[in-house]
Amino acid sequence: MQSANVLLRKIVRSSVLPFAAQNGMKNDWFPLSRTLSLSLCLKQDKSCEPSEKLDLDEWKKVMRSGFQEEVGETVSEPKELSSLAAARETLEMWRLAGRAVPENISEEQLKTFMECPSKSAKKKYLKYLHLKELYKKSNKRKMDEKREGRLEAQDQASKTDGTKKSSFVCLWSRTMDIAYNWRAAQSMIFGQPLVFDMSYEKEMSVREVTNTVRQIVMSESCNRRSVDPFHIHFCNFKDDSLYHREFVKNYRGAWDKLLITVTDQCYTEIFPKEKLVYLTADSPKVMKAFDHDKIYIVGSMVDKSIKTGVSLARAKRLGLETAALPLEKYLLWSTGAKNLTLDQMMHILLTLKDTADWKKALEFVPKRKYCGFVDKPVKELKRTLDLINTLKLGKRREEEEKRFAKNYPRKYKLK
Amino acid sequence: VQPPEKPLQAEEWNKVREDFQLPGIFEEVMLNSMIRCNSPIDVAKSLLTHLAKHDGDIAYSVLVKYLTLCVQQGQVSEICDVYDIMKARFKVLESGAYNLLIRGLSNSDQWRMALTLLEEVKKSMIPSRTCYESCIKAASRHQEMKIAFELYNEMLAKDVVPTLDVLQSLFDFSRGMKGAELQKELFGILSYLRENQIYPHKTFMRSIKLWFESIPGGNWRGHLTNIKDSGQCPVCNHQLEDSNLTEEEYSNLSERIIKDVIHGTDTFRKTSPKEFETFQTFVEDRLPFDIVIDGLNVSHIKSRKMQCENLFDAVNCLAKENARLLVLGRKHMLMNSSNWKREIMKEMQNKADFFFAENISEDDAFLLYATLRSGQHCRFVTRDFLRDHKACLSDTLTRHLFRKWQRGHQIVLKNNGFPLFFSKQPAFRYDCVVQTTGDTWHIPYKNVFEEKYLYQVPRKWLCIQKKR
Repeated sequence: MQSANVLLRKIVRSSVLPFAAQNGMKNDWFPLSRTLSLSLCLKQDKSCEPSEKLDLDEWKKVMRSGFQEEVGETVSEPKELSSLAAARETLEMWRLAGRAVPENISEEQLKTFMECPSKSAKKKYLKYLHLKELYKKSNKRKMDEKREGRLEAQDQASKTDGTKKSSFVCLWSRTMDIAYNWRAAQSMIFGQPLVFDMSYEKEMSVREVTNTVRQIVMSESCNRRSVDPFHIHFCNFKDDSLYHREFVKNYRGAWDKLLITVTDQCYTEIFPKEKLVYLTADSPKVMKAFDHDKIYIVGSMVDKSIKTGVSLARAKRLGLETAALPLEKYLLWSTGAKNLTLDQMMHILLTLKDTADWKKALEFVPKRKYCGFVDKPVKELKRTLDLINTLKLGKRREEEEKRFAKNYPRKYKLK
Repeated sequence: VQPPEKPLQAEEWNKVREDFQLPGIFEEVMLNSMIRCNSPIDVAKSLLTHLAKHDGDIAYSVLVKYLTLCVQQGQVSEICDVYDIMKARFKVLESGAYNLLIRGLSNSDQWRMALTLLEEVKKSMIPSRTCYESCIKAASRHQEMKIAFELYNEMLAKDVVPTLDVLQSLFDFSRGMKGAELQKELFGILSYLRENQIYPHKTFMRSIKLWFESIPGGNWRGHLTNIKDSGQCPVCNHQLEDSNLTEEEYSNLSERIIKDVIHGTDTFRKTSPKEFETFQTFVEDRLPFDIVIDGLNVSHIKSRKMQCENLFDAVNCLAKENARLLVLGRKHMLMNSSNWKREIMKEMQNKADFFFAENISEDDAFLLYATLRSGQHCRFVTRDFLRDHKACLSDTLTRHLFRKWQRGHQIVLKNNGFPLFFSKQPAFRYDCVVQTTGDTWHIPYKNVFEEKYLYQVPRKWLCIQKKR
């Protein structure tokens, strides 16, 4: 098809154009612009002479001749486009202009796109789809490469044909699964409960709920793999909620076989109130040590636009004890919010439970968020930070200082 | 890459392309650098010709880049040509190309074509504000004020926010023109500034002044001045509008603050219902207050001094003329500590009423409530800009009301260094917005364009009055 088109264009170009130029037919086609641009060219030719005789406007002829043939094809098309088709058309143009726009877009996505309330929301949504598409493509490419590699390896293996002997039948992943499930089942009887509070659906957008569920799925899997898993409870879980639908999407058939407790009851109805501790970054109380007799509650919420005090409010309403991780006590915080993802939380809690070693547990805080571990008193650290900043940054020192003061308000007041 | 200085032949382009590491994006990189260096368009043309001969087609993104170069150099005929080609080649164009075309054409004698293009854009999307801007400027440059104002009103109707630049150009080009309709439109812009609490900058102010003075038969005269603290204009002795809200606005604002700021989505986020109730009865028992003080904020004024001493100084400074004071704080202030001495706290409680909130509650919300409940005469003291509370309000109208109320009722204590002494930055008695009485106009203006702190209110004014 493509080659045919090119051929067609070449024929049209070579046959029509010289003819048109000789007869001055161009003038009839595009009377105004043609003369104008010619006169302009004449003017400019003096300033920068081309090395040889070069028709600078030849590209226009090519482009125009290109469309002449296409006009014939498109005349019959209906002029009025439906709004969806028009949106698709605009997207196509954006893609041609080199913006971050996905190549393929489904009807549903197009509708979501059109429902975006503002221009920037539209742009963001398109960029998200575009990146998603890119990831998908590169993953597919990698998978293909892997498959080829595997096939090659098989070929070679079949050539050498050396069967090794081993005392185990190769059933690793299944055996592991059975072992993990055994442990998880045990935890459901004897394990320490860990509660995910699923009552934040109203506070989140659809994408935030999706992210939350992804994070919980990851936490559940790392809990299952641990030596001594928690007994996970999903409390305030409403059937047929957005959470539920997302979980089913993620787990598919395995959802009904998960070794966790899912209930629409509140944690206060299941457990004695004095044993509950709500973990929230806004809590004024800082956790000192992991208590094996307490039941910790984690709010299943992703707040991209940071909403302070939502989970603290919930705990206050129910009159529960709250706690925050001692991030400032152990880490020299640099940037980022102090709320961590649910899977990071799970890693930290599991490590604490097994080892009671804060340093080891807080390894799971993303590295970009802190500069290092605090091993000296804050005042000394401040002095070294000052020194480093004066040496390195000069001007930016003040900013650093402010940030430091913000992170460590109790010990170092600047207000 | 460095773009060549003169047009190249096809073979030469081929060679350049081969020397370039990434042949896939060669054209785009080359055109980008041409735009950056503002190369002559003939060079770009020769590249396009080479591409057209080579591939038989030119990509849309390349055409847009070429268009950018043409617009940059004001090559009107080329812009028209490119538009013809694009129009024929593609069914619709996207916003970037339209922006460029409109910008390019509006600066030429083909400016009417820019208007038709704008119509075309409207069919598929809301035009960007730069589109409107160039069209309005073009129309007003050619003295077609009617078209310009039509576009301007359309822009406002579509919630596209005009830049100060556009507004200024409307004033600039209406200078010396007659017509009641036109005057009405321009007064409309001034009331737009008033409603949105926008302050013009110095050059914009000058345009306004010149326009007023140029109205044929209008006899307007403008003077630059500073308004006295009393709110009187030294030039025309006119008393500016006072900063008090109307009865209705006031009750509206109080209601919204309780609803949006204190309760919000969940009362537990800032306080608790029980605590808020205690506070309400506490306030009702002691109403009205004259000044409400944010104790914790004030206590940080001088970092060298003990926090309770700071508060003590502030209370002493404000407790004159039997003013009824309310100090808001948190419970931890009652614990005897290095910063909060019990004896000093005791002494202060004789001079003012104190309310201590829970340590995890937000005292600012209480500050707002107590002040609003006490009535229009009541002021509050804090250095906080209260931006987060303003942000809790859901619509812009209430936010403007809040800002107006804040300007009129907030006292900021300043630390004047050595002699341990506070100076008060007074709450404004007069309202700092564009205002008129019919034959006078008072317009506050900013000294420099960049002065953008919202909490800073301009002290300089343009006074315009009609000479009889």
